[in-house]
Amino acid sequence: MLTVALDIVTTAALLFIISSGLLIVFGVMKIINFAHAAFVTVGAYATLVGARLGLPWILVLPLAFVTGAICGALTEAIIVRWLYRRPLDAILATWGLGIVIGQIVTLIFGREVQFVQAPITGTVDLLGVDYSAYRIVMIGAAVIVALVFTTLLNGTRLGLSTRAVIMNEMLAQGLGVDSSRVRLITFAIGSGLAALSGALITPLSSVDPNMGLPWLISAFMLVMVSGGSLMTLAVSSLMLGGLQVIVSTFVNPILGGLTIAICAAIVLRIRPEGFARA
Amino acid sequence: MPEVRQFSQLAPAPLGLSAKWWMVPLAVVIVGSIALAPLVLDTYMVNILIRAFFVAIAAITVDIVWGYCGTLTFGQSAFFGIGVYALAIIFTEYGFGSWQALFAMGTSVVVAAGVGALTGWLSFYPGSTPLYASIVSLVVPIVLVQILYSGGTFTGSSSGLVGFETFDLELESWFRLAGLSLAAVAVVALIIMRSDTGRLLKALRDNDERCSYLGINTSRYRIIVLVLTAIIASLAGFGYAAFGAVAAPENAGFTFGTRLIIMVALGGRGTIIGAIVGALSIEVASAYLSGSLPYVWELIIGIALIAVILAFPDGLLGAVGRLGRGILPSKASATTQLRPVATADTGPAGSEVAMKVTGLGKHFGSLSVLDGVTFEAKRSELLSLVGPNGAGKTTLIRCLSDGRERSTGFVAIAGHAIDRLPPDRVVQFGLGRKFQAASVFETLTVAECLRVARTHRARPSPVSTSTVLELPAAAIAVVERSGLSDRLGEEARNLSHGLKQALELAMVLALEPEVLLLDEPTAGLTRAERQAFADILTSLASRDRLCILLVEHDLDFVREISSRIIVLHQGKIALDGSVQEVVDSSLVREIYTGQQAAACGAEP
Repeated sequence: MLTVALDIVTTAALLFIISSGLLIVFGVMKIINFAHAAFVTVGAYATLVGARLGLPWILVLPLAFVTGAICGALTEAIIVRWLYRRPLDAILATWGLGIVIGQIVTLIFGREVQFVQAPITGTVDLLGVDYSAYRIVMIGAAVIVALVFTTLLNGTRLGLSTRAVIMNEMLAQGLGVDSSRVRLITFAIGSGLAALSGALITPLSSVDPNMGLPWLISAFMLVMVSGGSLMTLAVSSLMLGGLQVIVSTFVNPILGGLTIAICAAIVLRIRPEGFARA
Repeated sequence: MPEVRQFSQLAPAPLGLSAKWWMVPLAVVIVGSIALAPLVLDTYMVNILIRAFFVAIAAITVDIVWGYCGTLTFGQSAFFGIGVYALAIIFTEYGFGSWQALFAMGTSVVVAAGVGALTGWLSFYPGSTPLYASIVSLVVPIVLVQILYSGGTFTGSSSGLVGFETFDLELESWFRLAGLSLAAVAVVALIIMRSDTGRLLKALRDNDERCSYLGINTSRYRIIVLVLTAIIASLAGFGYAAFGAVAAPENAGFTFGTRLIIMVALGGRGTIIGAIVGALSIEVASAYLSGSLPYVWELIIGIALIAVILAFPDGLLGAVGRLGRGILPSKASATTQLRPVATADTGPAGSEVAMKVTGLGKHFGSLSVLDGVTFEAKRSELLSLVGPNGAGKTTLIRCLSDGRERSTGFVAIAGHAIDRLPPDRVVQFGLGRKFQAASVFETLTVAECLRVARTHRARPSPVSTSTVLELPAAAIAVVERSGLSDRLGEEARNLSHGLKQALELAMVLALEPEVLLLDEPTAGLTRAERQAFADILTSLASRDRLCILLVEHDLDFVREISSRIIVLHQGKIALDGSVQEVVDSSLVREIYTGQQAAACGAEP
């Protein structure tokens, strides 16, 4: 029973980390970044390269973040910038980019599955249950991401501009906020977070060119349900992620994999604003 | 015999006739090449093209849902997969035979229609967003593939189903069957999309909200389109599996769904032909290239998709079309005749109540935007709603026209309580709403916009374009006085701001409303346009006996035309009286000049 509870919390933490990057992009730009999965993959391969070079784990994470952020900034400048007025086309173009990144990764690294050693191995004893130490670390990682995010948004000038753009872009522009710069930075941070989450999940899963894809749908659904706030994203990760673990454990893993998608679609049908203002 | 007025720009009859004549040799060429091609092409190519023909049918359904109706759908692959698996499972379980084939086809149609209806119900409801519909369409193939994976030997799990007996036809016959099916689907789709019904679908894509406020149940139309395209896609999958004798989860998957979108995007969305061009070229090219250059080929597709979306949003066909349009003379638009419809007698001049509002309130949490708004309006009344910015005027208009908006209170339009009904139902009670910013169908012509506005009275034909447009006299009057009558064949996006406003008013009047809500109709109009508007409104109230509620900032304009004025202040009715009473009231002067007494005076 305790194992299930820990599974729920750690799964929610993973989902939260992966969705948070998608969330800020959606919040600021009102577009869904279909290349998010590809950036997760980029982060995982950056980790692979870093680990092969023998970099310490503490340097690998920033490496992954920066690689993702650079990819994101380029994407914004070359592709997404031109499509803000056509959000459905932005979905398609970023999906095309996802294909491109996936194939480039395949051309460089091959399509075979590879593994990265976890920096923390073994299990810890929690109230009589042996549990993967690395998964416990994920909870801490999720809390750090949430804290850094909140501080960035609430404590810095960039955060203030970002919140202004989220609330009313025209007004923000009128007041001298350079909204295209805000968008560039937001997209870079969002993509960097995707890559960071890719780096964090590598020790738990194998690395392959399509590894990001299975996470993408769940991340989407969580972002849509959360309605755009970090707080509700955490709540929905916990609720829907928890449901997923419960269904996988007690009913059937395949059904478990569908839980988030189906539940989120139904929640949105009944309450279009999702968990926001709930 | 009603009077018929004709507004044709050119004499289009000979052109129209020659366009029809064009079709005959074209059809002969297409049918001929489908019949003869298998004799010329090598077996490998014929094999690939047969599959490509079935895929192209599925691509056409994506084009209809996305290109025409504006819903980016990833889900058509699921319906294709339903057809594939209906055949594979039934032939595997019961063997091959004529009743099995019919049973499989029936199952495919019924299941696809059911899943389509369920998806449609999930995706489309009053207030749903295109993004949400897209996301739901993404979930459908994912769920289906997981079901297939967990189906054990029944669905063949991840390896799919092979080795079942199927139709024994010559390769040439398969080619002709598939080719002619594709041609037939394409012709039917083109006819429907160019008919009045097709125009209505484009109107849904251009402006869903305007459609609802024209009394059109947009969700129902979208669900019907989804169910029909689901059935077609499933039959395409049925043919695909019948020919290939293989069923694989990839046939139903999300990746195939995105591949269909890529085909339509590359070929040119909203053209049908573009979907076919895209599907055939990608299928053929990937058959030749994916063997020798597997990753590079995928890379090329990805880059091509990005490039097309950025540079040619209307695809290759659109780009070619734009080049062609520069050289060829533009096509003459079909002539449209406006004919006044015989309006029902409005009855003796009485003073029936057209709109009744009691205790209406709108709250966001603890914030009250409107509170205790109560008034009545009779026919032939021109009632103006004035008040400073933020007084709740536009919110009130919204609460009167959409039953789901208000928090408390009662609203009746022409004697019908609006309950919690969505706008399309409220409009059917006899309400017409003109938005503040001109809301028309940008890519439709003026005549097409007006025809869409008549949808509730004249059901659009699914096969033809009517040349006669019946409009109520009031709408025709607006069209003629504004000068729109000379530009019936022009796309609405090319109109000036003033003409767009006039077009929207004419569209709303085409509904033959009893109650007309106008939100700052004169904003941004020239002096002359404004005067014309004033004349139109007063004659609508006096001659057509409409009850008009007008939101307006310009007090001079209001004074000139109103029969009664309501002053709204801080969400409450501060004053309700004749023009003279309101203009002379010190309260109004205080509200507008912002003196302190105003706030006290507003509290009843």
